Amino acid sequence: MKKTLTLASGSLLLALVFSWWWTSRQPSPVELIPTLTGQPEYCLTCHADVPDISPSHPNNTFGCVSCHGGERLALNADLAHSTMRGGANPSDLSVAGISCGGSNCHSGSEADDRNHIQRVMTSVQSTYAGAIANIRFSFGAQPDLIPRFGTNAVTDEQTQTGITSLSAFKPLSESNPFIQKFGENCLTCHVNAVRGDGKANERQTGCAACHATAKHTLSTAIPYTQCNACHNRGNYDLRTMTFIERTDHPTNRLQDYYQPIAQFTKCEYTLDCVDCHTRDEAMGDGDLHANQKDIQYIQCKTCHGTPTELPLTKTIADPNDIVFRLAMLNPVLELKMGDTVLVTEKGEPLWNTRVVSDGTYEMIGKVTRQQFAFRPVMGSHCTQSGKDQSSAYCHECHSVER
Amino acid sequence: MSELSRRDFLKLARNGFLYLSGALALGGLLRFLDFDPNPAPITEFDLGPASNYPLNSRTVLSEPPAVLLHTDKGFSALSLVCTHLGCTVKSDAQGFACPCHGSHFDANGNVLHGPAIKHLQTLRVELTDEDNLKLFTA
Repeated sequence: MKKTLTLASGSLLLALVFSWWWTSRQPSPVELIPTLTGQPEYCLTCHADVPDISPSHPNNTFGCVSCHGGERLALNADLAHSTMRGGANPSDLSVAGISCGGSNCHSGSEADDRNHIQRVMTSVQSTYAGAIANIRFSFGAQPDLIPRFGTNAVTDEQTQTGITSLSAFKPLSESNPFIQKFGENCLTCHVNAVRGDGKANERQTGCAACHATAKHTLSTAIPYTQCNACHNRGNYDLRTMTFIERTDHPTNRLQDYYQPIAQFTKCEYTLDCVDCHTRDEAMGDGDLHANQKDIQYIQCKTCHGTPTELPLTKTIADPNDIVFRLAMLNPVLELKMGDTVLVTEKGEPLWNTRVVSDGTYEMIGKVTRQQFAFRPVMGSHCTQSGKDQSSAYCHECHSVER
Repeated sequence: MSELSRRDFLKLARNGFLYLSGALALGGLLRFLDFDPNPAPITEFDLGPASNYPLNSRTVLSEPPAVLLHTDKGFSALSLVCTHLGCTVKSDAQGFACPCHGSHFDANGNVLHGPAIKHLQTLRVELTDEDNLKLFTA
């Protein structure tokens, strides 16, 4: 009995010494209590050097768990990461509603224009509805170009376009082998597609596909290279239903921006895409659309007007105008009450523009912060009809040689 | 001095192991029980002597984020935590502005424009018998 007791006490002592030694090797917990949640989390124990992901999402306010999920009190990496949302990308559309959503965040009401996630889910960037309808129509699987399928099932009961829902496209359910191959090879660039291998697929999914401009960074100053990750990475070969990665090696912006066959004006390769194209164009306007053209409405005339009309403008008279919020997120231009900015035909303010007192306009690059001064077409020698304003008409005179 | 017999030595060692391991186990248990991984947030802050905050002063505190006012009506405090999502607001010409999402408040903490819809929280300040100030955030 005494021998057993001695052995037991010795073993316990050894176990305690070992436990103390093991504990002393572990990092001391670093606690963060985000003001948003008021709940301690220990993620900074290992991730102490993680910078704020954006000025709008400081670590001290949001912490890590609000967006990433995970076990906030765990000090073991496997356990802490076991319940993270979306792996390293909580903005993947499969989880963005939880990670980025919420009535005060990005799935708020349509009334105050904070329904970003709903808009993205119904946008053509996500549904790819037009491409799917086009291919199915071309190969006889449907009698018209009306979209019936999206990459995921989605509904929009308050639609303004007449398209109330899309069913999930299932290529293997199609009888035509070309449509099957299209589904297999050509659906890799919508914002919730799993990225493929290779340089042509270097992008993330969900919100991060556009807004993650660097590691652990979210920004509305999105350079054209971010858009190029999908929009300028190669071509689809419709004969073989495969994606052909571009093989040229552009050495400057001029070559990098467009495929060799394309025409463009100087501003198209000087500006970044987001300098002109709006949130609704990129993220959707909340309605389901039949194709990209239905939601892409920025034209040369949006900024330059036509020979008979000046571009649309709006003078800021409300301190709650969304123009201030947009400008605050990327303060390239200090707008104030009484300033006049250009607006789209839908009334969206181009918040990086301003009408100058002499009747000309200025635009500040959202990424480059470069200042551009420009004049209206009205009063110039241009005789282009105001009705024919697609870029092809303007390219006739204004395209750049390369 | 009598020699320690082998039997007594083993007995002493055994008892030593027993008491030491028992004491360490008890210490470890107490340490384990004492550790609170999920502590309630601190809601009471000692601001030190009231004399540090002269009449008509306006002192911005970092912990907790608040501004302490000393007027002829006494001491009062306003939280600098934005009521939208919890960022710390900064003073500006109008009063306070949230650097995260652009809410604006006047100098009394009233919302001028959103996205915040609630005014900045007024915090309770108490003067102790020792003329120290205590600030309560809840």
